[in-house]
Amino acid sequence: MVTSIKERETLLKVEHLSKHFIVKKGFGKENVQTIKAVDDVSFEVKKGETFGIVGESGCGKSTTGRTILRLLEPTSGNVIFDGENIAALNTKEMRSKRRDMQIVFQDPFASLNPRMKVYNIIEEPLINFGIKDSTERMKRVYEVAEHVGLSKAQLDRLPHEFSGGQRQRIGIARALVSRPKLIIADEPVSALDVSIQSQVLNLMRSLQKEMDLTYIFISHDLNVVNHFCDRIGVMYLGKMVEIADKDELFKNPMHPYAKALFSALPKSHPLQKKERIVLQGDVPSPANPPSGCMFHTRCFECIDKCKTDIPVLKAINNQHRVSCHLYAE
Amino acid sequence: MTESVLQVKELKLGISNGKHKIPIVNGVSFNLNKGETLGIVGESGCGKSLTSLALMGLLPPGIEWQDGDIKITEQSMKGVSHRVWRSVRGQKVAMIFQEPMSSLNPVFTIGNQIVEMIQSHNKMPKEEAKQHAIHMLKTLGIPRAEAVFNEYPHQLSGGMRQRVMIAMALSCNPDILIADEPTTALDVTIQAQILELMKDLQQKMDMSIILITHDLGVVAEMCDRVIVMYAGEIVEQSTVVELFDNPKHPYTKGLLASLPKIEERKEYLSSIKGVVPTAGNMPGGCRFAPRCTARHEKCDVKPVLRNYNDQSMVQCWLYSDN
Repeated sequence: MVTSIKERETLLKVEHLSKHFIVKKGFGKENVQTIKAVDDVSFEVKKGETFGIVGESGCGKSTTGRTILRLLEPTSGNVIFDGENIAALNTKEMRSKRRDMQIVFQDPFASLNPRMKVYNIIEEPLINFGIKDSTERMKRVYEVAEHVGLSKAQLDRLPHEFSGGQRQRIGIARALVSRPKLIIADEPVSALDVSIQSQVLNLMRSLQKEMDLTYIFISHDLNVVNHFCDRIGVMYLGKMVEIADKDELFKNPMHPYAKALFSALPKSHPLQKKERIVLQGDVPSPANPPSGCMFHTRCFECIDKCKTDIPVLKAINNQHRVSCHLYAE
Repeated sequence: MTESVLQVKELKLGISNGKHKIPIVNGVSFNLNKGETLGIVGESGCGKSLTSLALMGLLPPGIEWQDGDIKITEQSMKGVSHRVWRSVRGQKVAMIFQEPMSSLNPVFTIGNQIVEMIQSHNKMPKEEAKQHAIHMLKTLGIPRAEAVFNEYPHQLSGGMRQRVMIAMALSCNPDILIADEPTTALDVTIQAQILELMKDLQQKMDMSIILITHDLGVVAEMCDRVIVMYAGEIVEQSTVVELFDNPKHPYTKGLLASLPKIEERKEYLSSIKGVVPTAGNMPGGCRFAPRCTARHEKCDVKPVLRNYNDQSMVQCWLYSDN
């Protein structure tokens, strides 16, 4: 009997993670500006679950993913992976830790070296992680290639000979070859056509079952996230505004931004009636964020408090956390 | 009887390597009525964008018009001069593109670009053209229109740029607007704004829209009729409700089934096996046959697009005895 996700142990715990970028304005000038791309984000991911991060462009969802892997150095906060705070590891320790946590990128055209054969692309992580025995490496490459549906003959080709969907399979194989526990998938299907998209999603799901993988799935496509994830976090301007189980979130979004986001989804049938909350205006620039709640400039339920006080993420019940003054007692 | 504003007959577009002609768009025919929104859906490489470029007389170099005809308000456009195309573009047919940043010129102000467009089609003094441009920007719901007139594209957000593109396209009051993936580069909340706006303007200006997209949600939202293209051919053409309720071609069925839906919970999505064949390697009979689950002997012979009922047409042997 498979244990339900709630009873499983926590694999990753992100605590107050922040990533601020510093922009210098002009040559030699002191005038510096801080962009808070990710600001005080906390969440946990349980073993074997798929945690989705959704939000619009520029909300910091990709930066969150990369900061967890320390591809970008966090400004502050802790990332506790398998009981160990990886934000405190030195470069060398981190390098070997990445064996357990890998990433799949969005653009399968830009993320594969065009001059390397597919075999070498998939093999490279194994060399990096110090597996010296080449027959062992070959065994692992063939094994993972079979898992993702690449034939041995295809491994001898170059990336340009493959279509988008197949390239994404190569990207997945490269991430899997070191037998990681956690995979961060940053918009893995956004560049693909619908019929190919479903092939890749199905592949990712069956791999998760076979290898007991945990995913962090970053996407802007709510339909895909709803299909694929167990729990979802909604981000807006660098903040996590709502975290809930997917059924709960889609049925009962609480944060006004989440409400608007789900109502903006196109209809799935032409005769479907839809009550739509159309948000006014654009996302403010992260270089010059609003005071108080980040969303108050576009919010349709804004109260006075929102303009001055920054809300914090509060638990409403054990499946639902939201960061909004409307739900504070 | 509804008035037809655009007719495409057996249009063939393609490349040739000396002896062989390789069609990329292979014999496409359709009709666009006044005031209607026609969706063209299909995956990358199915020829939907190429078809729309042909409607604007903007075929990229190397692509030739091999056969067929396009009639824009009764005027045949085959082999006409650049001068004639210039008079048609903007006045009768206008187009908006997917990526608003790369279709606006970064070194000219927004106002400059709209005024240029207006003046090249209408003899109008500069001041009047400016007023008209500002009026268009206001119609598109752009706040501070006077200020935006003097700004550069990089100062605007993606949604605002797409509004500017639409303002520019509509400034000469065209009969037909071709929108090539107009919201693909935008976020969902902005997409909802732009789609609302397009519907609204269509009613006000009594315009016909050809909406090219791969997003069936946008189709459900916007279109009256839909054309489904696969590998350069129309495989199904029907009213939008009929398409969603009763898809006929196995490709359309597969496409609809492979979309994740909010109301549905399933472990795995159904998917279409294999990939789209490349131009030049097309299978001889039905082009979808190698990926089709309902393939049978007849499929080695090419089917034709025929009427299924008064709402739909399909190009498939499964429906040939009707």
